Amino acid sequence: MSHPPPTVYIVDDDEAVRSALRLLMKSAGYTTVTFESAQEFLARYNAQQPGCLVLDVRMPGMSGMELQQELNRRGAILPVIFISGHGDIPMAVEAMHSGAFDFLQKPFKDQDLLDRVARALSSDSAARAEKLEVDHIRELLATLTPREHEVLDMVVSGKPNKIMAADLNLSQRTVEVHRARVMEKMHARSLAQLVRMMMTLEGRH
Amino acid sequence: MLYSVPPMDDSRDMQALLDATVDAVITIDHRGTVELFNRAAERLFGYQAAEVAGRNVSMLMTEDDRRDHDGYMQRYQQTGRARIIGIGREVSARRKDGSVFPAFLSVGRVAGADPPRYIGLLHDLTLRKRAERDAHEARERMMHVSRLATMGEMAAGISHELNQPLTAIAATAQACTRIMNSAQPDLEEVRLALERMAGQALRAGEIIRRLRNLVRRHESELEAADINAVVSELGTLTLADARANDVRVRVDLTPGLPQVMIDRIQIQQVLLNLLRNSVDALQSMPAGTKQLTVHTRAPRPGQVEISVSDTGPGVAAEMLDHLFTPFATTKSDGTGLGLAISRTIVEAHHGQLTYHSLEPTGACFTINLPTLDNKS
Repeated sequence: MSHPPPTVYIVDDDEAVRSALRLLMKSAGYTTVTFESAQEFLARYNAQQPGCLVLDVRMPGMSGMELQQELNRRGAILPVIFISGHGDIPMAVEAMHSGAFDFLQKPFKDQDLLDRVARALSSDSAARAEKLEVDHIRELLATLTPREHEVLDMVVSGKPNKIMAADLNLSQRTVEVHRARVMEKMHARSLAQLVRMMMTLEGRH
Repeated sequence: MLYSVPPMDDSRDMQALLDATVDAVITIDHRGTVELFNRAAERLFGYQAAEVAGRNVSMLMTEDDRRDHDGYMQRYQQTGRARIIGIGREVSARRKDGSVFPAFLSVGRVAGADPPRYIGLLHDLTLRKRAERDAHEARERMMHVSRLATMGEMAAGISHELNQPLTAIAATAQACTRIMNSAQPDLEEVRLALERMAGQALRAGEIIRRLRNLVRRHESELEAADINAVVSELGTLTLADARANDVRVRVDLTPGLPQVMIDRIQIQQVLLNLLRNSVDALQSMPAGTKQLTVHTRAPRPGQVEISVSDTGPGVAAEMLDHLFTPFATTKSDGTGLGLAISRTIVEAHHGQLTYHSLEPTGACFTINLPTLDNKS
């Protein structure tokens, strides 16, 4: 996988704020793309592109909060840093509940925003790596037969081969063969690794 | 009104009448010497009749009225031209204790008396004046409170509106610092950034100026005005603006409209705002279709109406509900204050500012104002 540079997306209906933030991000070495409305962002945003979103709460048309909800519906993992002209606490709470990465009140110190952008980008990068891993594990799981699935579940829950053989009404030898096939198909070098893979999946449902 | 002394055949009736009347009755001779001073006059002025009888009536007047009075008497006796007689006027009367009260004075000449004698009736206006003043003050307070209430609604919007330029300034300044700290600062970029910052500072100042105008408790100057003249005075301003934007203007004034009681400047502010909005709205329309119409008329008795309509796109359906809400704006450079302030002003004039869409396209804003003779 190639790693395109992360982009700071800026959505604010105010041209002056947009160009100020673009300049600030540029001066800190970030690539930026700016949008003057939530709709424009939705139309042009490529979910494969890593980055973070600096989003104005209050905009005519679709508000920042509505954009965040739409992104959630689409399953986007892009971290959202809200910037708001008024320190409306209930609004900030709602945004954080909906999974906002952070909430900043305008005007803000450059370092406050840049710190959050840096953290949001590393969080996005970690989330993308994890998502890649999860997708990979799911692909591997899809290659298992139903019987191998059963064996996998039992292995992960810590059942010895003998118990598994009795439960599945198979010979111990057959169970061992299934188990070896599971390890191979899942590209797991050890039981510990297999368990960690399954935990990663569970964490992501 | 008692303009001639009734027949003197029953002086007891006469005395009873004089005692019973609530208005002050005073008779004077041609030199202004007081002859008769009734009970009500004693009550009103605080003098006993005996203190006033035989003295000049000017002792009951303020300095200014005294001078006028001498002039009136002289002129009337020389020319026979009445300034008060049969007309009446508001005067300021002076009590024994020196305090002054407003009164309505009616004067009649005693028929057949030679040298002439005059009879004056004074009606105390203190209570009515106080009521009028109270009502006026209450109205002023209401206007102020309504402006403040609008401000209250706007508080959130105001902070947002001011924070935009402040955010832009802060972020741009901080970016400039970073750029200047870099190995090879792009000075052209910094120069442009500085210009933008200055622009944003002015933008913030403009918002504050507008707000100050809104909350300032200026004594509104109401005057009787012809609405057509008020519209015409805006002509040059509007025409220049319209022409610069390729907009044709039609001004359709119904002649002979009744007068209205308005703060001229405020109503012109409202009109300018509506006209500006229309010119703005028309910018998106194809050349040659941009038409702006100002129309005055009397839609019904007691009302005059000024409408500002255009052939622009009209107000979007989703904006209709908060068209007059402060800071609801679709303009990139708008503060969203214009229509909110306009409505506040028109309502302070006991009028209405309303909107309706036009077919096939266009916006029409209508200001309705009560006419001067409409007391409801």
